[in-house]
Parts: sequence; structure tokens; C-alpha cells
Amino acid sequence: MFETGVRQVRLAMGMVWGRRLSPENVARLVRDALGTIEEFGEPGADVGELIDGPLEDPAARKDLANRGVQRTAARLAAQTQFYERRFAAAGVKPAKLDVDALAAIPVTVKRDLVERPEDFRCADVPSYLTTRTTGTTGRPAEIWLSRYEMDLWSAMGALAGVLRGEIGPTDVMQVNVSSRATASVHLDVAVCRLVGAGCRVLGIVPPDESLESLTGATLLATTPSYLAELETAARQRGMGPADFRLRTIDVGGEVLSPSLARAARETFGVDNIRDLFAMTEVAPVTGRTCRQGHLHFDLNMGLVEYLDVDSGEPAQPGALATVVVTPFFPFRDCMPVFRYDTRDVVEVLDGKLTCELSAMPGVGQLVGKADQLVRLGPNDIVTPRALVEAVEALPARPWPARFRSTVHDGRLRLTLPFSTIGGLGEAEAVAHFADHGLDVDLAFVSDDEATSLRPLRCDLHETTFAGRPAVIGA
Amino acid sequence: MNSPQWVLSTFQLVVALIAAAGASLGGLLYFRRVRMDRPAIGRFNGRDVCILFTLLVILPAFYLLVPRWALESLLVITYMGALSIGFQPLLRPVPLWLGIGVLIGADLWLGQHALGTVFGWQVFWTENSLIVMLAAISVANLYVQGGMQLRHVAWFAAGLAIYDSIFTIGFPITNLLVRDFVGYPLFPAMGMRISFNEAIVGLGDLLVYAAFTIAAFKAYGRKALRVALILILVFGAAMPTLSGLLINYIDARLDVIIPAQTWFGPAALVGYFMMRRRWGRERTMKEYLASTDVVRREPPAPPAIPEEPTPEAVSKPVSA
Repeated sequence: MFETGVRQVRLAMGMVWGRRLSPENVARLVRDALGTIEEFGEPGADVGELIDGPLEDPAARKDLANRGVQRTAARLAAQTQFYERRFAAAGVKPAKLDVDALAAIPVTVKRDLVERPEDFRCADVPSYLTTRTTGTTGRPAEIWLSRYEMDLWSAMGALAGVLRGEIGPTDVMQVNVSSRATASVHLDVAVCRLVGAGCRVLGIVPPDESLESLTGATLLATTPSYLAELETAARQRGMGPADFRLRTIDVGGEVLSPSLARAARETFGVDNIRDLFAMTEVAPVTGRTCRQGHLHFDLNMGLVEYLDVDSGEPAQPGALATVVVTPFFPFRDCMPVFRYDTRDVVEVLDGKLTCELSAMPGVGQLVGKADQLVRLGPNDIVTPRALVEAVEALPARPWPARFRSTVHDGRLRLTLPFSTIGGLGEAEAVAHFADHGLDVDLAFVSDDEATSLRPLRCDLHETTFAGRPAVIGA
Repeated sequence: MNSPQWVLSTFQLVVALIAAAGASLGGLLYFRRVRMDRPAIGRFNGRDVCILFTLLVILPAFYLLVPRWALESLLVITYMGALSIGFQPLLRPVPLWLGIGVLIGADLWLGQHALGTVFGWQVFWTENSLIVMLAAISVANLYVQGGMQLRHVAWFAAGLAIYDSIFTIGFPITNLLVRDFVGYPLFPAMGMRISFNEAIVGLGDLLVYAAFTIAAFKAYGRKALRVALILILVFGAAMPTLSGLLINYIDARLDVIIPAQTWFGPAALVGYFMMRRRWGRERTMKEYLASTDVVRREPPAPPAIPEEPTPEAVSKPVSA
């Protein structure tokens, strides 16, 4: 108990002073948290403050953000070529920046990272692991990470997971994300190791192979599109809740529709499907979706801004905004970004929130990428989420949704594979979309062309030898 | 004028029994009915026992080295902390701090002004004993409700047995401390005086008795409670005091300080081993709280106004 107190003080002081934290200290806190739960069944009452920080007070939040921005900007100006130039061009003093003056610094975009990755590397940090974005939205970016970052993120993630009851020593996590997402996979494995849970990394293998091992897992980490494939495969095999012992499904990286979430709950017998925001470029800043469907970002590790998709100015309530993230030092170390425009779009909410995460600011759910918004007029935008939800709500359960959206003569044209509308006629399908607030013209292609309409993460298939003839001589 | 040894021993026995039983049963009563706040992370473990033991070893030096005002200030802070932590769940802030202020203030005043007569000493000891017993109850519960197990208490008592033997018999520092500091305000012991004779039981001993009682109850329930109370009353109260008769027979001295843990420590350790062998592993706090050994309060009445249902997550097409 005394040692744990000392460790918590060390962690708190490190965060307050903005110095590098000790991953080993946080890992020990994970063990302390496991011991606490073993003894008491749950953490103590003030656990929320320990995980999410005392951030209910807007003034405290702003103070934390200002200090994080100044600390991070000063380091980036000194250690990276890109931001040295950028801050100089903007004429700002990094150590004196505050959140109200950030507009003077242009946002960093993915093209910057792709074209000049070396300019983002901090000179004072040895590289450890590189990870690439999946490239579903264009040319992939390569991000270098330090050993310190990987150890710290996994320890912080494990600590938060244990204290929130999201993972424990009796759990087995199945990871169905692309094996090339090295950082994500590494973190899942490291979190399980720290907690003492089992970890099965499968990647994006044929769904039937995943289902066989999924029966023993309690946690599943995947993407919505692969979850859709798993759900479809399970249903086709006649599997139901009695065949699984899952307690949580974590998804992220794509839009999760209510139809798919409901079906996954029914098929896998899981109440808790967590729709998370995580992105390689802005790690370790993450977001969680509450039970009322708001997206809440963790504010301890970074600054999150919402900029109007049209004007680039801070978005007003009700407007669509792109999420701009600045991960703070000492949480981001090797190849940090400052004001990174994720191009992920959310709706800015109005009024006070009443959800279980209302202590943290929240916005609407992710509605898709800014570049995939369909503009029918100056004030008429159709989001990818609206389309995904409408398509996946079709009676044929065409999961994951495959479509192409284009604008012809000011009208939305939706191109779908034939099988998507199932037994419905075209008129009935149009009426279905109208019921979802979408006035569309429909066009159809053969099912063979489905994957070319809209690339998804489940398309990053990985082959195995299972179910194939044995290789001679192997 | 000193009383005969049998009178003194009987007096010491009565005081020791009252002190040990008061701390043990008071601690138990508190443990069954009151839940203390605990930190988000952390439970008492073996290293905490070592830290406590180290503090205990260096404490006598602290007494001898720091000036009196600093010592008394430290004791005031220590008792304020112990009492406020222990009784915060029971009292609102105003009565809590008023009570603590009155108790400590009276002790400071009595320690300065009331020690000229036997009656004055008796009033001082009564008041001081109350504070010390409440502090022992509070701290023992803090530790046990914080995850301290019976094995921790048993090993701690065993360590104290060695320590007490060395620093009472081998190097009589404890004896010096008692003689020099008895009568100081907030003296860390329960005690009483008749004539020129005093019987004293130290705070450390009371803490061990209270912790052993509630840790045994938490670990194995009522059956272990009976064993623990017998061990405390026999080896913690009776044997140390009655051994004065034997020592007097051998040594003919009447002012020998008898280290209670020298008797109780080995008994506690053997008792723990026997209980573990017979009843298996100790219950965790979670298992204890789920058992019928806890006195539960009546569940709160349902709210008069039904709570608002949680709105469903709504997703709609977004137009801007």
C-alpha cells in the first residue's frame, strides 16, 4: 500500500512536470491494481480521477492543455526539422503558445507525413518499431515509435483496462486486425502480458478460421467490417450465444452501424460492444463511445480540436467538424505530430451532456472521413455513416456495407451490388433509403465487383494453410 | 510506597485485560459495521509490514533526539490523522473535528496541569487511554480493511517479540523511554495509576491485538475470532503481567518492564499457522464482505420519483 502510494505520486508528478514517465513504474501499478481487485473485487472509489484525471473543471482542463501544448511545441521545435520550420514560419514562440493562439499554426496533414517522414523524427530518440497506416484512404504513412512509447502506452492501457474492469487475468483476447498494424498488435499483446491475460493474434484470416478459436475468447479486438464477416459466418453456421463466452467486443477504424452492433450482440451474446477511436498517427490519444453514442476523447494525453470542415475555424455546435489532435510529450516521443488533421468528421454537440462519461467533453459519433462526405448542396451533406447505416439496415443484412456514392445532377446516386437489396425491388429499396432520410437514385453492379466499390479493412486478407491441401514436403 | 508484587501484578492484569479487550472488541465492532474509504489502488502487503517495522525501530531514536515541542507536535498530527481517518465515516465534519479538538486539547492540558496528584494522574490516564484506544481501533481497521492479512499481523507480532526482547531486556531503551516520557501529553499508551504504581500497555501492543482480532475474523470468521481473543487475553494480557510475579521472585525488583510481545508474538505466529493448516487460505476482503459476518445496514428506500431511463443511442443522417 505504501509502495503503491509512492508509485502513484511518481506518476502524478511526472505528468504534472511533463517529464518522461517510467513505464516500469506504471507496469508495477498494473500489478498493484490486479492485487487490489483480487483483494477487494474492485478498485477504490476515486478510481475515475486516477484514470481520467480531475478534468471536470474547464479551467483545469485548459490549464493542462496549455502546459501540454507549450511543452510539446518547445520540444518539437528543438528536435524536429518539420516543426522547427513550421513554428518559425508562423512566427510563434513554442514555449509561450496557448490553446487560444493555435490557429496561427497550420494543421499537419497526412501528405506531410507521407512525403517527409524523416522531418518528423525527433533527433533525441532512438527508433524501435515502425508501423504503417493501412492505406485504406490513400498512400500509407509510416510512423516510427520508440521503445519508451510502446512500453508506456501498453502499461497505461493495461492500467486503465484493469481499473475499468475491461480486462483481467482470466480473459483471453482474440485480435483480428491486420498483422501489419504492428503497433496495434504489439500493444494488444503487451497489455495482455502485463495483465496476465491470454492473447491470440490471428489477423484478418478467413472468418471461419477465426470463429473456431473465438469460442474460447472473452475479448475480441477487430474492425467493424471484419466483425460483420464474423457475424455472417457465425449465423451461416448456426452458431449462437451459447457457442461463445465473449464479454466485450472492441471495434474501431470504421463506422459501426446499429444494425451490425445489434446483430453481433445477439449472435455472440455480448452486451458490451465498444466503438473506439484510435489512429496510428495520433496515438496514444484515443476516444471512447458512451452509452448515449457520444465520442469522448482522453484529454490527459493530448489536445483535441474540432475544426469546421468548410471554414477550418473552431466548429460551432451542430456543425460538422474534423478532429485535429496534438498528442502531448511525454506520451508521444519518437515521431510526434502537432495539430494533426485526422480528417475524421464528427458533429459538434450543443448543451450539457448527461451520459456516464459527461465529465469529459464529448462530440457526436464519427460520421466518416471528410473526403468521403457527399455534398449535394452548400448546406446538404450526406455522411458515410448515414449511408453505412442505411445500407446495413437492409433486410438482406448486406454486411459489411459495400457501395459507391456519387452526385449526378444534384442527386445522390448509390451504386450497390445486386445482392444488397435481396428480395426487395428497386422501388422498395429506394423507399427504404427514404425512410433513413436519404433521397437516392440506385444503380447496381454484379456481386463480383462489390469489394471494388468501397475498400474496407477486412479486405486486407491474410492467407493460411488451414483448410487447404498439405504442402508436399512440408 | 510500593505495593506488594501480587497487588501490582493483579492491578497490571486488570489494566492489561481492559486495554487488550477494549482495543480488540472495539476494533471488531468497528470492522463489522463501518467501511473506511480506501485509495483507488493498493492493498497492504508484506513489504508494508517491513516498512512499519522499520519505522518502529527508528521511532525510539526519534523520541530521544527531537525537542519536546517537536515531539508533541508530531504526536498531535499523528493522533489527528488517525482519529479523523477512523471516524470520518461515522461523523459529520463539524462534530468530528470538534471531538478531536476536545480530546487532544484536554490531553495536552491534563498532561501539563493535572499530574500533581494520584487523582490527577488517573484523570490523565483515563483521557489519554481513550484517545489511544480510539487511535488503535482506527489504525488497525485502516490496515486490515486495506488488505492486511492475519499472516501479516502474525509476522509483525513475531518481529516485535524479537525487537521487544532486545530493546527491553538486552538494551533497555524501552525502559528508558517509558520512564522519561510517561506523563507527557499524548503518551502512546493506555494506562492507570494506583498509589505510586502504574500499569501501562503501549499503543503498538494495542494495535497488534486489534489487528490480530479483526484479521482473524476477516480471514476465517467466528471460529478464528474465538482463538484470537483467547490468545490475546492469555498471551497478550495475562502472561506478561503475571510473569512479573516470577521475575520478582527471581530478581526481587518491582519496576521491571515486561515486553508483552515477547509472549504474544510467538503465540500469534503459532496460532496463525494452526489456523491456516486447519482452515486453509485466508478470505479476501471481497469474500469477507460477501459473507454473513458483516453487519449490513438496511438497504436505502427506493426513490419516490422514478429515475429517467437512459436514452438509446440514436444515430441519424447528419446534414449541415
